[in-house]
Amino acid sequence: MFISKSMTRDVVTIDKKANILDATDKMINRKIRHLPVVEHDNRLIGIVSDRDIRSAMPSIISHDYNSKEEREKLSKLKVADIMTPDPITISPSYTLQDALCLLQQTKVGVLPVVDENDILKGIVGVRDLIRAFINVLGIGEPGMLLGIVVEEQTGKMKEIVDAITEEKISFGSILVAKYWDKEKRAVFPYLLTKDISRVKKKLEKMGFILIDPLEWYLEQLPKTS
Amino acid sequence: MKKTGFLFDKRFLLHKTGPYHPETPERLEAIYKGIEEAGLLPKLTLIKTSRADLKWIETIHDKHYIDRFSDACISGYETLDRSDNQMCGETYETALLAVGGILNTANMVMEGKIDNAFCAVRPPGHHAESDRAMGFCYFNNVAIAARYLQIEWGVKRVGIIDFDVHHGNGTQHLFEHDPAVFYYSIHQHPSFAYPGTGREFEEGDGDGLGFTKNSPILPGQGDEAYELSIKKDLLPEFEKFDPEVIIVSTGFDAHVDDKMSDVNLSTEGFSWIIKMIFNMAERYANGKLISVLEGGYSLKHLPELAKNHVEILLNGGENVY
Ligand SMILES: [Zn+2]
Repeated sequence: MFISKSMTRDVVTIDKKANILDATDKMINRKIRHLPVVEHDNRLIGIVSDRDIRSAMPSIISHDYNSKEEREKLSKLKVADIMTPDPITISPSYTLQDALCLLQQTKVGVLPVVDENDILKGIVGVRDLIRAFINVLGIGEPGMLLGIVVEEQTGKMKEIVDAITEEKISFGSILVAKYWDKEKRAVFPYLLTKDISRVKKKLEKMGFILIDPLEWYLEQLPKTS
Repeated sequence: MKKTGFLFDKRFLLHKTGPYHPETPERLEAIYKGIEEAGLLPKLTLIKTSRADLKWIETIHDKHYIDRFSDACISGYETLDRSDNQMCGETYETALLAVGGILNTANMVMEGKIDNAFCAVRPPGHHAESDRAMGFCYFNNVAIAARYLQIEWGVKRVGIIDFDVHHGNGTQHLFEHDPAVFYYSIHQHPSFAYPGTGREFEEGDGDGLGFTKNSPILPGQGDEAYELSIKKDLLPEFEKFDPEVIIVSTGFDAHVDDKMSDVNLSTEGFSWIIKMIFNMAERYANGKLISVLEGGYSLKHLPELAKNHVEILLNGGENVY
């Protein structure tokens, strides 16, 4: 799961000498909030966000934006003046998990992807990661989620996987929730089938406890009364 | 009393799915038995089936998919696309017969020979996408019927109501851009049920935005939740949309005793729903209603559910608006 598979390759960039009104127009037109700033050879030198622009021109939302004087003042401001130089970047060989942890840790909105010469190769945002994880979870494919309580014992997972495989059912994914109950885990296989009644019966016969979907849902709901 | 059509053909039983599959010919036999033993057959107009012209299948399905399906049958494959779609050598022909019968039904309704009809067909259709088989479905019967009404009969507004317990992903996707077809589905919540689509925020796309509506029902809920959702989500939409014909994806698998779902709709709950739909057809569509079988797997309850369904198509029922 390398990031090069999940990143957006067609990156909208901006020149450091562009003025910030052009940058704003570009963001609005392309519906994006970050523009990597590149040299002519596509080497990354900075990044500018809609927040950088807003803090540089607080009057953009006021009526002053339209006054000639104000526009002139703003049109002199260049992207290079307000960009974040040397932004946090990742390489195409980063994994999905790396990117996720880094986004969480640094709280930046996007991660430009650059090669060893800082040449921009792509960009990864929260939206790219969501798409990638929907893919990992397999929930873009039709199927059903099963909930099974498992004792913390080696070999239990194998029993489940074998039982399901024997029924010729394909897996979309398997999630494991670590602290479901004391010394127990909850396993959630996402199965690419419409009929899980037989496999449910089989697992129950093998001694597994299946999680009642209603119970499992209500536990996630805030208690009202 | 309405003039109600009934589509059934023994050849619908020829599609066999192997020893462990829930979508069996016995389902259809149970439905037929329920209607026959209640003495309803003489009151019904029996509709003949015929093999559908491929040109109508092609209005919905990708030509390559149709060929792939036909080839798989001839070659003796046991499944198509996924292990859920168990098939036999007769599956392709059976699927064509099901569509053909439904198109005959559509003609009779539009010609005024009958008011409404129940089409007891196999295989079911609402999961089938343009280019693939899914969830026991091969050709999307209801979608093809809707297109047929548009093209052959110039119907401007087709309303589809899908109360099978599973979301009709195929039907939704096929019409999500089309403002001339309103697709409403009520089903078990996609986080707990196949196929994992049909969330409240799926409302159509482009020109079709606002012409798709989904009511997900949580596991454990039943009659009350269905009544509430249908009144809240479906009635106001159809009041605006004003369908000329209503097509129904009728699944009996939301029944409390049906092993394929965790929602608890009662036998009476099913009657309430079809009365509601009957009244909607009266109000907007001059009574024109075509009900097409999808799922429903409880052999014990299918006879009664089918009998009630047909009785309501014949006699209506109190206005539950
Ligand atoms: Zn169903």
